[in-house]
Amino acid sequence: MRRNLSVYLSENMDRLMRRDRFFFNNPVFLQGLGLAPVVVAAYDLHNALVLSLAAAILLTPTRVIAALLCRRCYLRFRGAVYTLTAAVIYIAAWFCCQAVFGVGIQSVGLYLPMLVVEPIIIKRYERAKQERLSTALRKGLLTTAGFLLALLLTAAIRELLGAGTLLGAPVFSGAPLPMTQLTCGGFFVVGLLAALWRGMRNLFKKIVTMEANTK
Amino acid sequence: MTILRPVFTFFLYAILAIAAQNAIFSRALGVSRLVKMVEDGSVELFKFGLLLTIVQFFSSLLGYFVSHLLLGLDLSFKAAFLPLVLVLCSVIVFLLVLLVIALAGSRIAARDYLELLPMATFNCCVIGTLLLTTTGGYTLLQTLAFSLGSSVGYVLAVILVNEGQRKIQNRNLPAAFRGLPITLIYIGILALAIYGFTGHAPAI
Repeated sequence: MRRNLSVYLSENMDRLMRRDRFFFNNPVFLQGLGLAPVVVAAYDLHNALVLSLAAAILLTPTRVIAALLCRRCYLRFRGAVYTLTAAVIYIAAWFCCQAVFGVGIQSVGLYLPMLVVEPIIIKRYERAKQERLSTALRKGLLTTAGFLLALLLTAAIRELLGAGTLLGAPVFSGAPLPMTQLTCGGFFVVGLLAALWRGMRNLFKKIVTMEANTK
Repeated sequence: MTILRPVFTFFLYAILAIAAQNAIFSRALGVSRLVKMVEDGSVELFKFGLLLTIVQFFSSLLGYFVSHLLLGLDLSFKAAFLPLVLVLCSVIVFLLVLLVIALAGSRIAARDYLELLPMATFNCCVIGTLLLTTTGGYTLLQTLAFSLGSSVGYVLAVILVNEGQRKIQNRNLPAAFRGLPITLIYIGILALAIYGFTGHAPAI
């Protein structure tokens, strides 16, 4: 049974690695999308939650509505369509974030409004092939899940190392590595997590191939 | 002195945006685009930089006047509409530049510019700088200088990271670190150098 699964995974490995946007092809750690908010603003879990809510509201609807609007649109104008759609949906996202977090949304500064031009939300416009609505919905939801995973994980590590707390609750007596709260620290943490992600992916590939080839 | 002071202010803000508040190394504005450009290696940097500078400069000029109208209104939720207003400004500039490229199509390599224009316009560096200058209460001169410096700083950062690739992408590097991870760590080292130079992290 396990060998059958390994053979199936081995045969479909490339497709799995390409299509799984949650783990194997995570948009942040493997594709390098949505880096700005993760590297700078997500230095604690509170900020990550604000960004998560906004991204969850923005990403999938923007992708679906823009896919619909781009059906009769000249290729060069698609960027404008995606960005304007995101900017309109951002109004709803802002009110939702304001209702949930109040003045707390100010702690993420310009990284909240800047989500409207984040490549993780609008990058699909660069591809010439038009996207079906069902595909846009599926990929949008998967990309959102992958982005939230990366955002929350990075923020938790940075808050833990940079301030010694988790959601404001003290875990360590001091801050083990305060540099992780800075932009440069954000680059280091995301870079190391991206390496870890790649390592885990390569290990998974190796194990599956080995199991599939055993007699 | 009345002439020298604005010139001094202009250069001060331009240099501030290029070095101490570099779009990539201090605020990571447009870092996803930078990583893709460095990985692909096919983007013509001069043309991209030229388009980015033009779009950013004129968007900030337009954004300055339009945002002053919006921020002057007595509304508690104007922050919700600010990105839409700024995106509209950049879309107007995008259309104007597109028109100029189309008209000058026979004299320049219009196809290359047309392909790069959306990438240069719908970029976190452009909207991020517009947001910084409008919400930071910059004057018109400061806005223009900062936007010009920001785009030049962005292009310089791309060149710096691109040059670094020659050294950091080698066989001695563990497989898991090749590509995106080592590029991010390299940018982190440069960001740390900028932080050491300025001594403080800019407000986000």
